[in-house]
Amino acid sequence: MFTPGSKYFLGLTGLALVSAVLYTFLVNPSDLGAYALFGLFLNAAVVAGFSFFTRDGDADTVEEAIAANTEASAPSFWPIVFALGGALVLLGLATNEVVFVIGLGVFAGGAIEWAIQNWADRASADSSFNSFVRHRAVGALDYPGLAAVALGVIAYLFSRIMLTVSKEQAPIIFIIAAAIVLTVGVLIGSKPEMRGKTSLIVVAGVLVLAIAGVSSGISGERHELAVVSEENPYAVANRECGAEASAHYDHIANNKVPLKSAVLATIFVKEGKISAQMVGLKKDVDTITIPRSNATSILFRNLDKEEHRLVANLGEVKVGSTDVMEKVGTCTQLTGKDQEQVLTVSIPKPSFANGPYSLTVPGIDGEIKVVVP
Amino acid sequence: MSHTPQPQTTENAMDTVSHVKNSRRRIAATLAGVAGTIALAGCAQNAPQDTWVPKGDNAQKIDTLQKIVFPIAGIVGVLVLALAAYIFIKFRDKGQAIPAQSHGKPTVEIILTIVPALILTVVGVFTFRTIMDLAKTEDTQMVINVTGQQWWWEYDYPVQTEQGISQPIITSGQLVLPVGTNVLLRETSRDVIHSYWIPALNGKKDAVPGRIHLLRLQADKPGIYAGQCTEFCGLSHANMRMEAIALSKEDFAKWVANQQKAYTSPAEGTKAKEGETVFINQCSRCHQVNGLKDANGKAIISAPDENVYAGAAPNLSHLMSRNTFAGAMFDLVNQKCRDDVWNASSDAFGAKYLTGVTTDCLNEKNLRAWLRNAPAMKPMYSDPTKLAKTGGKYRGMPNLGLSEDDIDKVVAYLSTLK
Repeated sequence: MFTPGSKYFLGLTGLALVSAVLYTFLVNPSDLGAYALFGLFLNAAVVAGFSFFTRDGDADTVEEAIAANTEASAPSFWPIVFALGGALVLLGLATNEVVFVIGLGVFAGGAIEWAIQNWADRASADSSFNSFVRHRAVGALDYPGLAAVALGVIAYLFSRIMLTVSKEQAPIIFIIAAAIVLTVGVLIGSKPEMRGKTSLIVVAGVLVLAIAGVSSGISGERHELAVVSEENPYAVANRECGAEASAHYDHIANNKVPLKSAVLATIFVKEGKISAQMVGLKKDVDTITIPRSNATSILFRNLDKEEHRLVANLGEVKVGSTDVMEKVGTCTQLTGKDQEQVLTVSIPKPSFANGPYSLTVPGIDGEIKVVVP
Repeated sequence: MSHTPQPQTTENAMDTVSHVKNSRRRIAATLAGVAGTIALAGCAQNAPQDTWVPKGDNAQKIDTLQKIVFPIAGIVGVLVLALAAYIFIKFRDKGQAIPAQSHGKPTVEIILTIVPALILTVVGVFTFRTIMDLAKTEDTQMVINVTGQQWWWEYDYPVQTEQGISQPIITSGQLVLPVGTNVLLRETSRDVIHSYWIPALNGKKDAVPGRIHLLRLQADKPGIYAGQCTEFCGLSHANMRMEAIALSKEDFAKWVANQQKAYTSPAEGTKAKEGETVFINQCSRCHQVNGLKDANGKAIISAPDENVYAGAAPNLSHLMSRNTFAGAMFDLVNQKCRDDVWNASSDAFGAKYLTGVTTDCLNEKNLRAWLRNAPAMKPMYSDPTKLAKTGGKYRGMPNLGLSEDDIDKVVAYLSTLK
């Protein structure tokens, strides 16, 4: 008759159907939630059908199925994990999103593992065969899943450290960490007899990483990153965008990471002259057109010996409720020879209203006009 | 109550056989009906988005490729399915003994590797050549910036003196281009991913926020070429349409000249002048009309970035030079005038299109309904009570609650935006 797997999915099917109907009538029939619940209902029904049809895949014979009913399930800690997940989900709904998402993961993981273990325990009367069946079913998921989580945690902790240390220290730490990983890897690979000792090193390394990562997370990001996350550089009035070093812009990297293929235009400085090329046009242009109210990236390429920066002059705005006008703009960092940087701007007003707008390079004559229709 | 098994009679057996045959006939008839319907659907006369009718050089390249790849893929598909069906039937389980198992046949395996590889190589050569041809930009003669947002397309024409564009042009819904010209669209998006597709002129290309994607277009003859957003982009994705209008070079120059014409305010004392005031008070928060000024002579600058999630609303300067609105979903002209333009010959098309929306042709019903309650015409996220996720900004046009009198005035005003 019904196998444990099909029972589980049939139950889920019923639950999803009831939830979907209640949601449709009580909440909002056109809401995305209704579609999601009906989707869950359909998917669960299909899986239940498959599960029933294939007798859970491994309960091959009627004898085994009968034996399954005579064998008591082994003790399992998965119901506890399942319950913990449920509690975290509820706690997350009341507190914050992160707890909710973690709870959802624990809940789903616990439910899947519990269901599979229960199913495997009833596959036959032979507990070693059941254990084999269970490992065959979830082994392919458990280890990669746990490895992915472990790698994710390590990467996250490491990223906290890299965001805290200075730009100068970061590459040194990176090199040392890479060297340690490589050495341990070589030791494990070449001297299997040392596996016990190297495992201790790995555990110690992970502990050190955890402590350093948590400490870094608590102490926060390094100054310039903290500033950029709190402040929109574009909103800052045109300051320190000259030919000299800037205490502001030279320490604030553009927090967007546009690819070169995403730039609208490229501005060159070569032999003391400024020029512009727009994507799709063969010849140089003296005016570039930028769509209104849309983040647009412009690539600045310095081919001169001296360091230069590209400045976007974006009109003027009133200071508060006064009649005093203040220039608005932004700029790149000082850029060395044969180097390039991206400047991203989003201009809310057309150039005929708030302009003229232009792109200039301090210390270089000429400008590129910017038109915003 | 007990059931006694009844012996199977010859009559019962005949009935069973007959029932099975009838079931098979019904299934066959249903399948034939479905196949026939699908086949007949391909015979539609009025199918402006047909992918098999190229009207430009780029679309022609894709069509040529299709005509090579489709037959090859079709023959391979039919052969594989036929072979599979033969094997399923011929070797189905009839209780026979399982034949001796062997580990492959090298000759067959080599043939079955080399033949598909050769077929894929042939297809690959033609495909790559087409892809590279369609990615060319060095022969570009004109550039247009195309920006997608929920649920309309904005077109802005950068200054290109060789095309007679001495100041930027901005329009929406209908992309106007000169025939026989290699036009390069620089696509991007202000909100979510959209996809631009005019089947008669080229394949589709995604418009992605923060990126510039390039798409070549070229039309052989004057006419209207319909398209459709092909990347699901929210509630009104299906209503995010576009039309490419190809004009002869002379007509395109006239169109450019008209788009660059300065704004003329309606005469004092007219209903249109009153409509201008209503427009300034109600519509100009989002919609820009270049040259529009308030009573003090100060330029009216719209602020869609403060009211609309995408940060933009269609610029309505020269609205009546287009013949659609609301993301090309509705006609600004009535059915007769629409047919007149759509069905015009290549020679006559330009003059008819450039006539714009005349008083006789204006589809007031659509325009009034839109002004009365836009969300009722086109599904949009514009319920003021449900804007928490977007920080109070609309996605689409809200119901402005205009009175019938105001609607009359605004229609009169919009009619002057030639």
